Amino acid sequence: MQAPLYTFRNLAHVYRGTSVLSIDRLELSKGGVIGVIGPNGSGKSTFLRIAGFVEKPTVGEVLFNGKAAGPFAPDVRNRVTLLPQEPFLMRRTVQKNIAYGLQIRKADSHLSERVKEALAYVGLNGKDLVQRPSYALSGGEAQRVALAARLILKPEVLLLDEPTANVDAVSAQLIQSAALKAQRDWGATLIIASHDWQWLYEVSDTVLHLFKGRIFGTGRENIVFGPWESAAEKSWCKTLDDGQILRVPPPPAADATAVIEELRVLGSGSPPTGASTICTITGIISRLALEKTSGEVRASALAANLPLTVVLPQAQIRGQSLFPGRRVRLAYDWTRLRWI
Amino acid sequence: MDFLLQGLLKAIELLTTGDPETFSAVYATLIVSAYSLAATLAMGLPLGFCLGYFDFRFKKQVRVVVDTLLSLPTVFIGLVVYAFFTSRGPLGEWGLLFTLPGIAVGLTILGLPIVIALGATAVESMDRQLRVTLISLGANRRQLFLSTLWEARHGIIAGALTAFGRVMTEVGIAMMVGGNIKWQTRTITTAIALETNKGEFAMGIALGLLLLCISFAVNISVSFLRKRD
Repeated sequence: MQAPLYTFRNLAHVYRGTSVLSIDRLELSKGGVIGVIGPNGSGKSTFLRIAGFVEKPTVGEVLFNGKAAGPFAPDVRNRVTLLPQEPFLMRRTVQKNIAYGLQIRKADSHLSERVKEALAYVGLNGKDLVQRPSYALSGGEAQRVALAARLILKPEVLLLDEPTANVDAVSAQLIQSAALKAQRDWGATLIIASHDWQWLYEVSDTVLHLFKGRIFGTGRENIVFGPWESAAEKSWCKTLDDGQILRVPPPPAADATAVIEELRVLGSGSPPTGASTICTITGIISRLALEKTSGEVRASALAANLPLTVVLPQAQIRGQSLFPGRRVRLAYDWTRLRWI
Repeated sequence: MDFLLQGLLKAIELLTTGDPETFSAVYATLIVSAYSLAATLAMGLPLGFCLGYFDFRFKKQVRVVVDTLLSLPTVFIGLVVYAFFTSRGPLGEWGLLFTLPGIAVGLTILGLPIVIALGATAVESMDRQLRVTLISLGANRRQLFLSTLWEARHGIIAGALTAFGRVMTEVGIAMMVGGNIKWQTRTITTAIALETNKGEFAMGIALGLLLLCISFAVNISVSFLRKRD
């Protein structure tokens, strides 16, 4: 039986006394696209640095194709590459930056052609760009050159940390399509952390949801942060900016974080059943994204400034005309809410 | 003012006629500077890299010590090196006292903290993403070290130049450890000090002009290399 591409075992990473990542066991298969989502500070970048073998976890081990591996390990050094969130280009020309990885591997035959090919992958014109110093590039160009420096290596695993966070729309589109082309052309496994979860859900075969350094649920859950206020009938609540009230059971602490797992969209005019335990709020559909694996649609809704997500069958989207801009009633059973 | 003008004219004569005594001091200066700079860079670059690159226990304290050594008095270094190299000293049998290699040892002690401190600062000021980038592009430990040094080259060259300037213009160590022996260990700076005391301004000015020329030549070479970069 083929070993998984990655196995993370009893992994924990501590930074300045604070635990930033903790994974008991996780296996990732070869090929395809693995999306990593989570709020800021959830451990996405740490996870990618450890999976990219540029950082060693504080404790635990990472197996690559069944063998323990770490930074500088010969088995992974030339097969896995990470594009960090803030691209760094060395004080050299574009040509030398892109060729660096091949030169240190002493695989520098037909270098100029390969550099131009890599630049074309990310939608840049090699002829105009190769001799330009790295400091003369725009932010979008620098990110694309940094990606080209990875693609020229034809890595087995390409890890991208927020690849489109700091670039213009055109660069973002070119970066996204270049990464997916790499996956198609030589079967690279892509592991991508991005805030653009709409795109991530569309292209990912697997989505990992990180929260406070832990793999958390399926990404379908809605996380609502405190503070909470005590209300009548053994319930607590949070008042949204527009005056709507989110009802919750008594929290373990006033600033605890709630997880709403079963959020529904109510049909127009249908009152909720079991009204005493059902909390309804009104929101506006803001985005729709088709999940690659399930074929269902992830609908984003904004209730005041609170972003919520609900996964619906395509038929319900069509039947209720749940398109962006549509006002909807969302409901959840507040007694079944859980705390983390 | 006449004596200055006469000194300048005489200096030009000494330089253009290739006065052996003058050029003997120049030769001694270049030899001790080259030896000490080579030793300083060979030891100082790896140490400066480690100090700037790695986080370790007592790093701040080590940094304070290195920074303090930047202002080490040259006569004190001369005294310590003299004490070690004198015939009664622990390294007396090496026979380095009153020799050019002996002066180079003292000058290395002078230049080492400069290269370590400025090298560490240059490496520290590198973008933290450099390490991630180099490792993710497949660099091994040696390639990581060399590429980081290359990226920090401008700061490191500035440190080497500062050390070179300090070493070449030093008097106390050369005087105490070298003994200012004519034709043997007399350097440009000790010769200037001696000739000025004797009222021989011409040779002092000639040597001073040569010192300036050497400094200019080194700086212009470095600027040229930077531009090519």
